[in-house]
Amino acid sequence: MLSIFYGDMPQAIYNPVVYFKNRYTDEWIMDEFSREMIRDVDRSEVLGPRVIDSPVLGGITPRELSGGVKTLMAIYKAPDQIFNASACGDNCAKWILKIGEKQDVTINLRHLMDFGEETFVIKILNTGQIVHNMDELLPVAGMIVR
Amino acid sequence: MKGSYDIVVSNAKVRYAFTIRRNITIVKGDSATGKTTLVEMIREHYESGAGSGIELNCAKTCRVLAGRDWHILLREMHDSIIFIDEDNEFLPTDEFAGAVRGSDNYYVIVTREGLPNLPYSIEEIYGIRESGKYASIQRVYHEFYHIYGNTRTGKTVCPEKVIVEDSNSGYEFFKGISTTKAHTVISADGKSNIFAEIMKSQEQNILVIADGAAFGAEMDRVMKLTGRRKGIILYLPESFEWLILRSGIVAERNLEEVLTDPEDFIESSEYFSWERFFTKLLIAVTKDTYLRYSKRKLNEVYLHETIASKIVRQIRGIEW
Repeated sequence: MLSIFYGDMPQAIYNPVVYFKNRYTDEWIMDEFSREMIRDVDRSEVLGPRVIDSPVLGGITPRELSGGVKTLMAIYKAPDQIFNASACGDNCAKWILKIGEKQDVTINLRHLMDFGEETFVIKILNTGQIVHNMDELLPVAGMIVR
Repeated sequence: MKGSYDIVVSNAKVRYAFTIRRNITIVKGDSATGKTTLVEMIREHYESGAGSGIELNCAKTCRVLAGRDWHILLREMHDSIIFIDEDNEFLPTDEFAGAVRGSDNYYVIVTREGLPNLPYSIEEIYGIRESGKYASIQRVYHEFYHIYGNTRTGKTVCPEKVIVEDSNSGYEFFKGISTTKAHTVISADGKSNIFAEIMKSQEQNILVIADGAAFGAEMDRVMKLTGRRKGIILYLPESFEWLILRSGIVAERNLEEVLTDPEDFIESSEYFSWERFFTKLLIAVTKDTYLRYSKRKLNEVYLHETIASKIVRQIRGIEW
């Protein structure tokens, strides 16, 4: 299940991009789920563990991927850590939900990410509430973060 | 620093073109739109100049602030446009807000997090829109005569409840002109309470009045609420004092020029946000006149029918 702590969280990793840079392996990039995230968020195709085809930047390495997709991979591949997922835009939200369906993860959010119009299951750790859609999430999270 | 500045930065792969016009500009939005690439290009051009292969055209020096020693670096930065990426933990701190206050730099900050310590304008929140290799920076929130939210163009809004950010003169004005009206007027006692006040309200049609010049940090959560609950309208002029200055009741040479291009007159080191400039200007131009203005207590002359109607006339699309 996906759990979210909203607001300042000292034990969370504020800069997931740096964590990714120092911890990612070839396996992180070649994982089929990672490749789907890269394809969807960055519109880029993984050609090999060290080469990715970006429509804007051309041939790039994993280090030039967006901060959002690096954070998604960090959340997915290091579920024992808590990352600041405000490094992710709303176009990463569905992938955070999918990761939460695959495994138990906790993320830290410092803004109101839009999780879309579908139903979901998210535990808000600040209050202990479980919410199932944005209509339930917004009144709770909106009182904590901007 | 004052004035507006066009910035064009490009390399062989991407080109960004945009204009900065206040001390604080926020860039936010989806992942993979090029926000970090923009900051990185600014940094590389500052470090290596034309030898970086990056072309950058701007009348001011553009540079990047980052890292744990940001406060030491910032002390040496003056009269510059400073870009800051979202991975800097100092962004939400009081220490950083204190450094921006009184600074002669402009700041372009990449962040999705609302920064309540910084009084940034709703008009200076941008997202990057890309079209192939060309990217422009476009306003996130679109208005119709300073009205935001779920409203249809041309349709007059008739509120049942008015929530005013202010607890002083602005609130007293809207309360005063509503004594014979059906709607109620309450003060939120500060912009950070507006979200909670809307949540508490049972009325179908709610009008929120706040100073747009400093409402930026609140805008995301309040707009998300307006998107999910019908009948919430935001009226966000620069400030209440700006509204009075625009109404034509104050005669002052150059006033039209100041209101048309405020950025040419507002020195960032002197004014943390534009609302403070407009307050000071209104106090100055009404001093020793019957319109003498005080922010703390409303001069009752502003409630006189002739004057009040001129002020209210500026608020288009809302029935008073």
